[in-house]
Amino acid sequence: MALFAIPDWVVRSALVVGFLAVWELGSRTGMVDPRLLPAASTVIGTALSLLETAAFRAHLWTTIAQTMAAFIIAVPVGAILGLLIAERPYASEVLKPLVFFVFSIPKSIFLPMFILAFGIGFGQKVAFGVFSAIFIMMMTAFAAVESVKREHLMVARAMGASFIQTLRSVYAPSMAPVLLEAVRLAMIFNFTGILLAEMYASRSGVGNQMGLWGQNFMIDRLLAGILIVSVLAILFNEVVRALETRLEHWR
Amino acid sequence: MVCPTAKTTRRIIVLILLACWELLPRLGVIPSLFLPPLTLTAAALFSEFSVYWQHLLVTLQEVGAALFFACGGGILCGMLLGSSTRLRRLLLPVVSSAYAIPLVVLYPLFTAWFGIGMQSKVVFASVYGFLPTLLGAAAGIQTIDRSLMMTARSMGASPVQQIRYVLLPATMPTVLSSLRIGGALVIVGVVVSEMLTSTAGIGFLISRYRTMLDSPRVFAAILLVLMLAILFDLLVQFAERRFTGWKKNVPAKTFP
Repeated sequence: MALFAIPDWVVRSALVVGFLAVWELGSRTGMVDPRLLPAASTVIGTALSLLETAAFRAHLWTTIAQTMAAFIIAVPVGAILGLLIAERPYASEVLKPLVFFVFSIPKSIFLPMFILAFGIGFGQKVAFGVFSAIFIMMMTAFAAVESVKREHLMVARAMGASFIQTLRSVYAPSMAPVLLEAVRLAMIFNFTGILLAEMYASRSGVGNQMGLWGQNFMIDRLLAGILIVSVLAILFNEVVRALETRLEHWR
Repeated sequence: MVCPTAKTTRRIIVLILLACWELLPRLGVIPSLFLPPLTLTAAALFSEFSVYWQHLLVTLQEVGAALFFACGGGILCGMLLGSSTRLRRLLLPVVSSAYAIPLVVLYPLFTAWFGIGMQSKVVFASVYGFLPTLLGAAAGIQTIDRSLMMTARSMGASPVQQIRYVLLPATMPTVLSSLRIGGALVIVGVVVSEMLTSTAGIGFLISRYRTMLDSPRVFAAILLVLMLAILFDLLVQFAERRFTGWKKNVPAKTFP
């Protein structure tokens, strides 16, 4: 079949272009109400002009600062806690089921607790972001420890590798890709948590703005906001994923 | 020192946590506005049970409808995607990129489109649960042993027999594990969207009691959602044991 000869990226770009074209045409020809779904070009224009206004940039900056702060806390703390637990057989036997249980219950419903305890400012957003992301980090740290092969460790020890050498040549290469995946997932959970907290109760941030636009029926801005947030999230995700595949090559 | 078994220690930890929940607010270590004692929370749940029950029914309806769309659609699309190499190579990267999008930002759009009634919750929760279910189903379908189908065909099974005795049991583990992922997310999606803007449902109660600073009732509602999530998980686990037992019970070696 002819379709099979076309390279993947061409088909994939064609799909994206086709999607945008259907959106644009549907709205322009009035097949869908343009008040409910403004044309793709309008939305992209709105997104660009939003990025130029100082007020929106300030909101965007608030969101990014909160996300980064929560990320910087959740990732190392989660990874270290996870590694400490996974390293000790007794601790992991006792605590792993508990962590797994907490991981599997919905975190978002605890958001009101964070408001009762921390108010609705910067600290509350960061705390909720950390809470949303830390358990996936711990869970993946468990998996990272399990990914280290016993045989590799034994060979390294038999050949007289020092502690630092085993750390550098056995533990790190095995665990790095798994931990990077954890970082990627933690960012998704964390960003979602921060945006939800902003939409729920706040005075600033992109989530807060989106909530207001929704209430005021400003659909073009709403779609522009969704576009900006999605592009940010996908960019970060793809960068980490590219790193992941590079580090995984030796396997 | 002799350590007690892991299970005992775990139980002791849970008991200590529960005791802290009761005692710390009572002793004034934590203000009871932040954390109302366990007994007060339970009392709020029982005294207001009729209110909670009424709103729980709304939430359950929304969860049911969203489960149908998210898991039905997600499992079907995932199986389609997973069973074709070409489609998988083409679309899976797109789907996993889309997974990175924080979907909460779609909710204001859905309320603008569908109003603040049940419809917007069902749409949001369906979208929220769809992609992970799809990814789970696509990954699961690849693990099915193709030789099972070939064996059935070579033994002369009719198409109906092939589906009934081979395909259905073989896809069951995938379907159930996808249902488990999707169901948990659908429950979160419904409750979160109720918390944001709505007029009924458990999430609505959480938000309403929070603005009234009535912490015991907030906690009672949270407890109810937790019970719902755990109950759903137990149900799927039960089904998993019931329908996927064949996998462990019949090792290939027992056949002559």
